Amino acid sequence: MSGAILWNGAPVAFRAGESVASALARAGIRALGDLPTGQEAAVFCGIGQCQGCLVSLDGRLVEACLTPCRDGLRVASAGAGNG
Amino acid sequence: MAEPRVLIVGAGLAGLAAAVGLARAGFASLVVDQARAPGGAIHRQPLPGVAAHGLPAQRRRWQNLRAEVTAEGDRIEILCNHRFAGIDADGVALLTGERSRFIRPAAVILATGATERVVPVPGWTLPGVTTVGAIQTQLKTTGEPPAGRVLLAGSGPLLCAAAAELAAAGNPPVAIVEAGRPFRHAADALALPAGYLAEASAHLARLLLARVPIRCGMHLSRIDRHGDTLVARAEGGGRHLDFAVDRIGLHDGIRPNGYGAAGTTVPVALAGDAREALGARAALEDGRRAGAALAARLAGRPVPPDMSPALERERAAQQRLRRIHAHDLGARLVAIGDDTVLCRCENRTAGDLRALGGDPTDRELRLRGRFAMGRCQGRFCGEWVRRLQGDDPADAPLGAVRLPVRPLPLADLIDAGEPDEEN
Repeated sequence: MSGAILWNGAPVAFRAGESVASALARAGIRALGDLPTGQEAAVFCGIGQCQGCLVSLDGRLVEACLTPCRDGLRVASAGAGNG
Repeated sequence: MAEPRVLIVGAGLAGLAAAVGLARAGFASLVVDQARAPGGAIHRQPLPGVAAHGLPAQRRRWQNLRAEVTAEGDRIEILCNHRFAGIDADGVALLTGERSRFIRPAAVILATGATERVVPVPGWTLPGVTTVGAIQTQLKTTGEPPAGRVLLAGSGPLLCAAAAELAAAGNPPVAIVEAGRPFRHAADALALPAGYLAEASAHLARLLLARVPIRCGMHLSRIDRHGDTLVARAEGGGRHLDFAVDRIGLHDGIRPNGYGAAGTTVPVALAGDAREALGARAALEDGRRAGAALAARLAGRPVPPDMSPALERERAAQQRLRRIHAHDLGARLVAIGDDTVLCRCENRTAGDLRALGGDPTDRELRLRGRFAMGRCQGRFCGEWVRRLQGDDPADAPLGAVRLPVRPLPLADLIDAGEPDEEN
């Protein structure tokens, strides 16, 4: 492991080069928060087409499956009403 | 200002082959890819320290193409970790990423691969339920299979391929649920090209060894969540089976992901699976064709035909594979319950679609039904809405592609600066 991202404030280890979705999956985190539609955010397509895994990164909504991990990166559930 | 280059979206087999085709005819290109390394879905590159995946012949195919790209020198620039947001009516394209920018390309080739088809089933939106491709992406990148019990369901040769890869990585799926009955089509199967047969038998041998049951003629009828466990019910042939698992991979084939070709002033072409979903073998061939054809068009020379004997062979093989995996999808779709979500983006159900009444127009489907209006622009619901409506062809998009072709934070737009600052 080459460091940790902070998922809703809690450290999650990652391997160099992997995506936020990949690190969260290894940590057993599948539900990524609530989307405004009432669905849960979660990885579905894994390649940036479905927009199902949107999370918040410095206030920007990004796809967890396309966002590379960096040590100390703060990522949070998008949260209802934030979409 | 440098002469405008061709913008190629997607650095997989088709995109890079197109870049080589253009370069050999004297045209420079910029190839953008959202991933951290070229490869596309098939040749997705492993993380540092992770062993390469795939059969030796597949790896050679990729290495040969990379060598061809390198040989073209600065005629081909590859920009990873950047995404194409679309090209407007004035020919201005937006790329976002660390160095977001507007560019004015001479032409665009979309080599954006395929989208997985997934037949909607109650519970397919639950966390832990993904496409089979998402599981493969994780496996190819990290070398690690998903932890816990995995179930693969749907239809098509990818199910067995992915299951074999999971078995090789140390976590075979608990079962494969295949809607078709491929083993009853021996004559058709034996007529497949030798390469297909060799791959299929390698996968099946691995599945036998790992004792992975293949439940043919069955499909998932619902997925429920009990605590941390997903319970999938498979039905077919008058019986049912329940599977308690941690992860479910769904897959019912692929369709072209040719989004982003809205009307603009410069030539836009499609290459590989984004043009016609014929798989990896065809993607390389079609990329070369698309590059050469666009070069001819830009040079004012006669444009070569858009099919070749090699592509025809791949098309015939794909048709044969569909026959081998044939099943009565139409009857299943008609019986989809009102509470089944069709549109994942906006949580619109089969009941919402039926409530629109008889024969709504595309405009009504979009504006009243909200189908294909969400973040994915109908990639995952469009075909099912069409089929439930009885529309033919079922793959016609529900209206034009909207810009940007994917949601974009305003900050990305601001970061990109002004359209004519730089090319």
